[in-house]
Amino acid sequence: MLTIGIDVGGTFTDLVALDASGRATFAKSPSTPQDQSIGVMTGLDELARRLGLSRNDMLKATRRLVHGTTVATNALLERKGAKVALLTTAGHRDIVEMREGLKGDRYDLRSPPPEPLVPRELRFTVHERMRADGEVMLPLDEASLQRAITAIGSAGATSVAICFLHAYRNPVHEIVAAERIAAALPGIDISRSSDVLPQIKEYERFSTTMVNAYVAPTVRLYLAGLERRLEEAGFGGSLFIILSHGGMAPVEEAARLAAGTTLSGPAGGVAGALRCARLLGKPDLVPFDMGGTSTDISLVTEGRASLSSEGVLAGQRIALRSLDIASIAAGGGSIASVDAGGSFKVGPESAGSIPGPACYGNGGTAATVTDANVALGYLDAANFMGGKRPLDREASLAAIDRLATRLGISRMETAAGIYRLINVKMADGIRLMTLRRGVDPRRHTLLSFGGAAGLHACEVARELDITRIVVPTMASVLSAWGMLTTDLRYERAATHFETGSRMTAAGVRDIFNGLERNATDRLRSWFDGPIGIERSAEMRYGEQIFEVDVALSDVDFSDPKLIETIEQRFHRRHQELYTYSSPGQEVVFVNARVAAVGSVASEMAPAAQIDVDRACHPSGRRQVHMGGWRDVPVYALERLEPGHTIVGPAVVEAETTTVLAGPGDVIRVNGLGWIEIELCAVPRSAAA
Amino acid sequence: MTIKVDPITRSVVQHRLSGIVAEMGEAMLRTSYSQILNSSRDFSLAICDVQGRLIAQADHIPVHVGALPWATRAVEKHCRDVNPGDVYLMNDPEFGGSHLPDVTAFVPIFDGDRRLFWSIVRAHQSDIGGATHGAYNPQATEIWQEGLRIPPIKLYDAGKLRDDILDMLALNVRNPYDFRGDMAAMIGAAHLGERRMAKLFGEFGAPVVETAIEQILDSAEQQARGVVASWKDGVYHGEAFLDDDGRGRTDIRIAAKVTKRGSDIEIDLSDSDPQTTSFVNSSHANMHAAVVMAFAYLIDADIPKNAGALRPLQVIARQGTIVWADAGLPVTLCTSHPSNEIVEAIIKAMANCCPERVMGGWGRRFRVAVKGENPNTGRSFIWHLFQARPGGGASIGGDGWSSIGEWHTVGGLKFGSLEVAETRFPLHFRHHEYRADSGGDGEHRGGLGVSLDLVFEMREPALANTAGEGVRHPSCGMVGGRDGKPHHYRLVSTDGRTRELKTKEVGIEIRPGDCLEVRSAGGGGWGPPEKRSQNARRRDIEQGLVSGNGPYGKGE
Repeated sequence: MLTIGIDVGGTFTDLVALDASGRATFAKSPSTPQDQSIGVMTGLDELARRLGLSRNDMLKATRRLVHGTTVATNALLERKGAKVALLTTAGHRDIVEMREGLKGDRYDLRSPPPEPLVPRELRFTVHERMRADGEVMLPLDEASLQRAITAIGSAGATSVAICFLHAYRNPVHEIVAAERIAAALPGIDISRSSDVLPQIKEYERFSTTMVNAYVAPTVRLYLAGLERRLEEAGFGGSLFIILSHGGMAPVEEAARLAAGTTLSGPAGGVAGALRCARLLGKPDLVPFDMGGTSTDISLVTEGRASLSSEGVLAGQRIALRSLDIASIAAGGGSIASVDAGGSFKVGPESAGSIPGPACYGNGGTAATVTDANVALGYLDAANFMGGKRPLDREASLAAIDRLATRLGISRMETAAGIYRLINVKMADGIRLMTLRRGVDPRRHTLLSFGGAAGLHACEVARELDITRIVVPTMASVLSAWGMLTTDLRYERAATHFETGSRMTAAGVRDIFNGLERNATDRLRSWFDGPIGIERSAEMRYGEQIFEVDVALSDVDFSDPKLIETIEQRFHRRHQELYTYSSPGQEVVFVNARVAAVGSVASEMAPAAQIDVDRACHPSGRRQVHMGGWRDVPVYALERLEPGHTIVGPAVVEAETTTVLAGPGDVIRVNGLGWIEIELCAVPRSAAA
Repeated sequence: MTIKVDPITRSVVQHRLSGIVAEMGEAMLRTSYSQILNSSRDFSLAICDVQGRLIAQADHIPVHVGALPWATRAVEKHCRDVNPGDVYLMNDPEFGGSHLPDVTAFVPIFDGDRRLFWSIVRAHQSDIGGATHGAYNPQATEIWQEGLRIPPIKLYDAGKLRDDILDMLALNVRNPYDFRGDMAAMIGAAHLGERRMAKLFGEFGAPVVETAIEQILDSAEQQARGVVASWKDGVYHGEAFLDDDGRGRTDIRIAAKVTKRGSDIEIDLSDSDPQTTSFVNSSHANMHAAVVMAFAYLIDADIPKNAGALRPLQVIARQGTIVWADAGLPVTLCTSHPSNEIVEAIIKAMANCCPERVMGGWGRRFRVAVKGENPNTGRSFIWHLFQARPGGGASIGGDGWSSIGEWHTVGGLKFGSLEVAETRFPLHFRHHEYRADSGGDGEHRGGLGVSLDLVFEMREPALANTAGEGVRHPSCGMVGGRDGKPHHYRLVSTDGRTRELKTKEVGIEIRPGDCLEVRSAGGGGWGPPEKRSQNARRRDIEQGLVSGNGPYGKGE
């Protein structure tokens, strides 16, 4: 039996198949943005070929197929979603456009406001009102509802977001409105706020529901198409979709909660990082995924990835809990330039994939990070992508020379400067990301993956005083590989806005039990294995306006001192995050959360301990610039074996990635065949 | 000694500096106690040199930036015998402070025995003593009624805390626990800046860092001069008005004369009206900060805000005027008013100099604070109005932002969730939508203010105070654009009695069931209305932003 993971990225679709013995087979095929399922099917052909099977036989033998998709992300980024109508409480038509009064760059007063996802004329109102305690203040006015439904119909909307105030507390008006709309406008897609995100804070709930309505029809259509193609091709197992929270769900659920698939792709990378942490026995990692235009940074602490409700994508607030991934605008395609004040800078502009770096030969003339890597000899122009796509070294040098002339320094100083500055920028990104979460990066290991990361990982780590780096062999397909070990997950939340002094243990127990029943029932309809439960609460001190997520999974809910225990947990977590707690202050309980988790994956054996250091032989040598030109040995990754040890400087090349280690850095191949690097303790003088 | 610094090293140093102040900001956010700091982010971080030149800053509030050099120079002047491990504090306008709630901590940065820089943290305290809670006191006639005055003082002497001084400060504020916590956070963040700067000296050597900094300042100057030089030479005049001082004096004029020649710009506020006896006066440092804010809005957003970028700018003002009050007068409102009016007068003057750079006026701040008893909890509550944000001004880039804020906050202040407010306070937000027709007409329309109907659901009467501006004077239109509508605040009782709220009142009675009707100001338009496109006019009506025949077209 096989399990297959499929990650559709901007450029490539990555596939990994795992057989019963735990052996993994990889394949890559070009992505097809107009219909991602075409690239998926081509990729499956390639995967079958590598397995020595027909596609039909492979799919027949596949029990589970796990898929990370960027369909929702692209629909949002490119503004190609549904025509959405928003139905809301009279007097509150502009919540989604007001954004709580916030705007980005405070010094930019000449940029106009963004176009809202749902323009004002498509935001309709109904006379109804709930109080904060869920009591009906103003009953739902049928006449105004009918008028709004007629208007929605004649506006030609294909999807509707129903967003009423305090519907998290009492959803009955939203439910009635949904029923009326479904009856009057058959076929229209309906998202209601009390279903998508039943939590207090109207801007976050409405915006999330609006995004859901915007992407749901596209996601539904795509997944239905993919399911059909797979069935026709012989697949009889289950298809699961990775959601932004890192768990997976069946197709129907992914279409219902389509706004929860916007981080489906990167979530695979975090899942992969978590799996690496288990296999390596290293619970603290900084996953560092450097690509062409951006670098994704996340955090694994004590074997867990943190979740956050602070998500924003394409300017839209999505408050569903999702993995905490920071994206910084720095990558291989980042452009180096000189600004009006004569200052040298790298990024945030990127050459993207078209035209791409100068060395791609697609008409790009700007000097990029990749061009600097070519000029410095870090990338072997002739051998890029295993020689399948050679690079134009002369074009890189010409682009760098133009910049060097403007700066009045030499070609190699310029190239080394680009390399240095991009590393400084990425290190800054990691430093702020970790600091913000109360974590000291120095005790973490940098997990390097994504095509461009290997060349920069050592220098970025050095900037941060991180001393250990791991580059897994499947670094270039880590997301697809990570998907194979994700669990099924269904989350429920409920708002219970109350101060600690007014809460009772029985009340809290009831809330969690209700959520738990609901979540378990839902998960049970997809899955017949053992179900685990995770509990948490969002809490804060009285006067604060942001909440802290407090894990409660190991709390004994039958304890009569339950409230005290929950409050203590909150103080402790606050202390960890913000260096202080205020036990005397009023504590406010805001949201209760339950996740039902169905574990499906079997785990690979962790890395065997390798004690013997063995020398190995390079497959060649080349000139690499590290402060000056040096003759550096080059190793082929596929020829390295567990126990092999190399003292830098050295270059290790694989088909899709290159790893660079500096003088004195020690590369070891671990029991999994992965590269581990220990940085040289003596700080070297600046390379540039 | 001349040191050569290559452009790569300069860029790395520049990144390091902005990384250092960003990290100080994160530390501040994580460790501060009071809500105004950890939620509203009313604090700023900076590195200045010993001449008081601003080297790098991370602000969340634009009006802090231009004031810090004055505070630094005052510390330089008044503090002798500065040693490693010292920490200085100050807040007083007579010593380079802006207003009393903004307390600033300074930590000196040494390289060996050479003192080179200051690591600086400024934070708005939730209380600073004085006659009223939270410092905004419309009744103050002298600064002593506004709070505790702190000249530059030494809080740590060579690493040792002077407990007696801290005890005295904490005793003079209403929430000593928060105050001590916030002080510790500020000093912690300032020390972080000191350590990171020391590390930077270790990496490159202090002389290299100093040279790189000179180049960074020169580069920002070059960028700013490049922008200024592209504007038309000449002498330009602009004016803006405060509504009143709360004591019967109205239409207080702020006048800006701008002389632009080559890449230099001189801003002269000397012609502004005389000072008043109320808290709408500006302190000297705050006046500079407001001018810097206007200049920063006119140049490019991505030019670093450092001393170099400000070199083209000369500021002239006269003591005894509303923009630079004599010592001893109250000034607490100044970071919002007259800061807003100073900015607007300058921007207005520049409309004929660089019409492609100016923007229509942004709304004014009109605070309302309500104190009453919550019938659900039986406890007293204090609630501050942050909803109904005013509109922003239009510009060459397009229409203004709606519901976005004032000149001095420009979209940096979050008004928060109505659902949470209804849960915590006896309030019912009956209506909170864009205020149609409030944005000033123009080729590009000003952003809209907000219509708010807020019903009070206490069982007993509550009391309200106001501290605001912008009821008489609207946000101005620019380059032929029209003014936005001004604020209109009134209280309507269930029996139909109506009370117009004045800008600076105390002890307003709010009875159960009263409705606060706020119609907040719209932003000013940009460009002549005749040039507005037919399509834009049609969209305004379709969307109900301008009243017309649409289904939601009725105004207020």
